[in-house]
Amino acid sequence: MASRMLALALATLLASGSALAQEALRAVYRADGIPLDPTDAAWQEAPAVTVTLDGQTVTEPMALEAAVGEVSVQALTNGREIAFRLVWEDPTEDRFHVVAKFSDAVAVMVPYRPSDEVPITMGGPGDRVLILHWAAFRQENLDNGYADVNKLYPNAVYDWYPHARKPYRYPEDWRNQYALAYIGGEKLFRKNTIASPVREVVAEGFGTSTWKDVQRAEGRGVHVDGRWEVVIRRRFVEENTSNPDWGPGRRTFFTVAVWDGSSGDRGGRKALGYAWIPLEVEAAP
Amino acid sequence: MPTVYNWQIRRELDYPYEHERPRKQFAMVMDLNKCIACQTCTIACKTTWTPGRGQEYMLWNNVETKPYGFYPLGWDVKLMELLRDGQKWVDATYEGPTLFDAAPEGDTLAKWMPDEYDWAFPNVGEDEVSEPVEVGTVMDHLPHLAWMFYLPRICNHCTYPACVAACPRKAIYKRPEDGIVLIDPERCEGYQECVAACPYKKSIFNAVARISQKCIGCFPKVENGYQPQCVTTCIGRIRLQGFISPPDRIRPDNPIDFLVHVKKVALPLYPQTGLEPNVYYIPPIHVPRSFLRQMFGPGVDHALRTYERMRRGEEPELQGLLHLFGSTERISHSFRVVGDEVIGFDEHGREIVRVPLVEPYQERPHEDPELDVVRQDIP
Repeated sequence: MASRMLALALATLLASGSALAQEALRAVYRADGIPLDPTDAAWQEAPAVTVTLDGQTVTEPMALEAAVGEVSVQALTNGREIAFRLVWEDPTEDRFHVVAKFSDAVAVMVPYRPSDEVPITMGGPGDRVLILHWAAFRQENLDNGYADVNKLYPNAVYDWYPHARKPYRYPEDWRNQYALAYIGGEKLFRKNTIASPVREVVAEGFGTSTWKDVQRAEGRGVHVDGRWEVVIRRRFVEENTSNPDWGPGRRTFFTVAVWDGSSGDRGGRKALGYAWIPLEVEAAP
Repeated sequence: MPTVYNWQIRRELDYPYEHERPRKQFAMVMDLNKCIACQTCTIACKTTWTPGRGQEYMLWNNVETKPYGFYPLGWDVKLMELLRDGQKWVDATYEGPTLFDAAPEGDTLAKWMPDEYDWAFPNVGEDEVSEPVEVGTVMDHLPHLAWMFYLPRICNHCTYPACVAACPRKAIYKRPEDGIVLIDPERCEGYQECVAACPYKKSIFNAVARISQKCIGCFPKVENGYQPQCVTTCIGRIRLQGFISPPDRIRPDNPIDFLVHVKKVALPLYPQTGLEPNVYYIPPIHVPRSFLRQMFGPGVDHALRTYERMRRGEEPELQGLLHLFGSTERISHSFRVVGDEVIGFDEHGREIVRVPLVEPYQERPHEDPELDVVRQDIP
């Protein structure tokens, strides 16, 4: 354990050292709007930065090896919103989050304070970060219907669910008090049924990540030719909630984490960029 | 990592969180000599808490046949594999590795993740005995040549829960008021680290709600002074729920303390895990000791000797207390055996139940000389 922590400290040092030399990502201004479709031609206007990923080996449980080695990132802005396009090689398409099987996912992390001194370890006490987390299983729910029992196990047989009406379908027919109790209450029900594959999460260090009450980030991901292409879009400033200190003409930082479901990645078991990458947002000309 | 003390294995161990015992600790005693695997507890739990979507194969309470029954498949065989490097007891002290000692690099403790099909056969091995029995075999001494017994299981609401230690999201917590371990459904993200970590496999993933769920110790009942559904519906009256004290604060009139600490007839399940599980079992008398020692630790011999004495009528207080099992829905915080009755008291010392040790009965002889008749319908 000690040797690993030492190696990690060394790697982190090297990584933060290289942050100085890290090429900045330029979020290109585009007045015509930002497409959610990752295959849209508009994305050719944005320069790409490649982020190198390593396994999460700071806190347990760890991913000792990174399942995904690098991810290519582009960004566009329209002055009000920013969008990231993330592309990485992943020959196994994991679109379900079920028993002992996990979904592919990607997240962009931005510090509230536009500084590369914010701990890269998901922020620190009083030093908050915003995490925009896209997951393939949420995309699957939106593209092909909620992953309910009939979809996950087409041959499943059941006689009866008390307090629910036939045909049993989650979530449409589960808006009654008893059914809500089965699925962990109203808040969880709403978490599962937000019409976006992206979740907005804030954190102040490992183990503190919490969903924001206001969830308006959007996104779309497609799996083509053995790679994921994902767009994540959010307003710089969302109303009625906290926001990072960022916007047009400003400079801040970001980093990326990728989960490969087939490798057992979930939660802390992930591949991430250990250095903040400068993010320069173009202002309207 | 903080160091905590586990009295069941009489040693300290490393645990990710500071040592803080709850004000009360939920505990249950089950007498395995009485369980008949009728599954009334299982169904009571199922209809109360897990009849929903995604919970089709989720059993917070299950009863399995040992040695060949498992839910999920092979759960305790896998546990033995995780701890295989010498589960060594020196007298009552465990000197082998706990799950925390056996942790691989990059993890808090040794884990294994059941596959989805491992959950799909909750009654596998039902009623199977340890080996084939020849026709005409008579089993007239203990332990039996061929044997099996029923093992009812719920969450152990451990003092040092593996699920709490494993959750990277800090979504699982142990309540300071009663020691019940709960998953916060709003914080849970379904990473299933708790499913892999719990050696008893009592944290189970719900693929529809996409969170893990577990036995909640019927906390709405317990908060109001009532025992959980699996206890109060048990037709064999094998269960008693209450609160256990740590060994330095034993109250001999507390039923759980009396059974676990004073008489030492009820033992924890696989104490080698290091988690200090809080469901205690009175071991079955007909099963080979080596199997029982592996499952319940070195206290088995003492427990069985005491139980045998009770069967011979030499432990009247213990015998009396066993009559309290299943006699009231309320939680007995203390008890007293007076004459031929056992009395249960609530937390304020008020009497809640009084049970005769022998139910009043009337003997009617087969032949009634007065009427000069013979009765055919008497037992």
